[in-house]
Amino acid sequence: MIETHGLGKVYGRGLYALRDLTLTIDKGEFVFLTGPSGAGKSTLLRLLLLQERPTEGEVIVGGRNLARLSQTEVQAYRRTVGFVFQDFKLITSKTVFENVSFALRVLGLPVEQQRRRTYQVLKWVGLQHRLNSLPEELSGGEQQRVAIARALVNEPHLVLADEPTGNLDPDLSLEIMNLFREINAGGTTVVVATHDRELIKWVGRRVVQLEQGRLAGAEVPQ
Amino acid sequence: MTVVGYAFDEGWTSVRRAGKSAVISIGTIAIAFVTLGGFLLISVNVQRALDRWLEAAELSVYLQDAITDDARAALESYLASQPAVLAVEFMSKSHALERFQNDFPELADVTASLSDNPFPAALEVRLQTGQFATDMADELARTVAEREGVADVRYDRRWLARLLAIVTGARVAGAIAAAVLMLGAAFTVASVVRQSLHARRDELEIMQLVGPPFSYIRGPSIVEGLLLGGIGAAVALAAIALVFTMAGRSLEADLAGLTGGAQLRFLGVRESAILLFGGLAVGAGAGALASRAVK
Repeated sequence: MIETHGLGKVYGRGLYALRDLTLTIDKGEFVFLTGPSGAGKSTLLRLLLLQERPTEGEVIVGGRNLARLSQTEVQAYRRTVGFVFQDFKLITSKTVFENVSFALRVLGLPVEQQRRRTYQVLKWVGLQHRLNSLPEELSGGEQQRVAIARALVNEPHLVLADEPTGNLDPDLSLEIMNLFREINAGGTTVVVATHDRELIKWVGRRVVQLEQGRLAGAEVPQ
Repeated sequence: MTVVGYAFDEGWTSVRRAGKSAVISIGTIAIAFVTLGGFLLISVNVQRALDRWLEAAELSVYLQDAITDDARAALESYLASQPAVLAVEFMSKSHALERFQNDFPELADVTASLSDNPFPAALEVRLQTGQFATDMADELARTVAEREGVADVRYDRRWLARLLAIVTGARVAGAIAAAVLMLGAAFTVASVVRQSLHARRDELEIMQLVGPPFSYIRGPSIVEGLLLGGIGAAVALAAIALVFTMAGRSLEADLAGLTGGAQLRFLGVRESAILLFGGLAVGAGAGALASRAVK
C-alpha cells in the first residue's frame, strides 16, 4: 500500500526532518508512527497527504509515485485518503453534517446519497443527534469523532491520523482508538502518529519508531 | 448541489462577510461604470443627432443671378445624372427668401427693410447615403463649383465629417478613461476577494485536504468578484437612469437646437447589456485573478 525509498525532507539550510527513510506498510495494516517531538512523524504524514513534496527519494501509495502527481491529480488522490489531526481541522462556520458531507459533495454524488452516507457515518461515530451543531458546540472528543466521520465518509483505502488523541483525556483516547481499530477491521489501512506509549500498547499493532528523521526501529508489541 | 450552486452560496456569503470592503469595491466599480455609461449615453445621443444631420445634409449649389435658363437646366441635368445624387430641387430667389422668413420670423423686420432680395437661387441636392456616395459627393462638390453660372457651393458633410472625427476622438478618449477606471475597479475587487480568501484561509486549508477539484476552491472567489462587479454595474446603471430622468427633461429644451426637437434617448438594451455584462466580466476576471493565489 505504502512504500518509501530513501525518503528525505530538508527544510531551510540543510535541516533534515526526514532522512533516508525506507519503509513498507501493507494494505490493510494498522501502523503506529512513534518517536519524540521532531522525530519526523508529522512530516511523514504530511508527505503522505501531499501537503509537502519530498526533497529526496520517493513515496509510492497504491502503486502511484506521489512526487509525479500534478496539482489536479493531488486533489483526486486526497479524495481517496482520510485524515484526522490533533486539532480536528473542522470548518467552524459549517455544521457537523456539512463538515462531513462536504467530502461527498465534492465527489458530485447525488444529494440523497450524500445525506444517507453522512447520516450513516455520523451514526457510526455516535453523533447522529448533533447533525446541526457547530463544531464549537461540541466537546473535544465529539469534534474528533466528527473528524473521523469526515475521514471515513468517502470510504478511503488509507486513513492518516496525526496525534488524534493529543487533545483528549485517556478514556476518550481509548474510545477514538477503538474507532480506528474498527475502521482497520473493515480492511482500511490506518497510519497513526502518536507518542502515547500506553495507547500503542493497548492497541497492540506494528510500531515504526522514528528518531531525528531516521528509522530507529520497528516492533510488534505483544 | 453542483459546483455552481456551491460557488454562488459561498460567494454570496463572502460578499456579505466583506461588509464595508464590499461596499467600497461596489462603489469603485459603480464610479467606473457611471463614467463608461455616461460616455455611452452621450455617444448614443450625439450619434443620433449626427445621423439626422447626415441624412439631411445637402449639397447646395448657389446660382449667379445672371444665369440663363439653359445653363440652369444643363446644371440641373448634370447633377441629376450623378450616381451620388438622390434628387435635385430648384429653389428660386423668392422661395429662398420665403423660407428664411418662415425659419426666422424674429428677423422679419430685417428682411422687410431690404430693398432687394439678397438670397440667391439654388439647386438643392439630396445625396445618397453611404461611404461610396460620400466620397463621390466630395468630388462632385469640387467640380460643380467650377461650372458656368455657379456662384458658390455649400457642402454640409464636410463639417459634419470633421465633427464626426471629433466625436469619435472624444469617444475613444472616454473609452480609455473608462478602461483605466475599470482597471482600478478590478484591482479593488481583486483586493476584496483576496481579503476574503485570507479570512477563509483555515477553511481553505481544510477544504484542500479533503481534495475538492479546484473549481470548488476557486469558484466562490470568481462568483464573489462576479457579484461585486455585477452589483457595481447595476448601481451605475440605476444612477445614470436617475440622473437622466431628473436632468434629461430640462436638458432637452436647452439642446433642442442640436437635436432638432427630438427626445433625448436613454441607453438601449445593447448598451445596458454592455454595462451589466462588462461589470460581471470585470468582477469575475478580478476574482479569478485573486483566486490564483490559492495553490
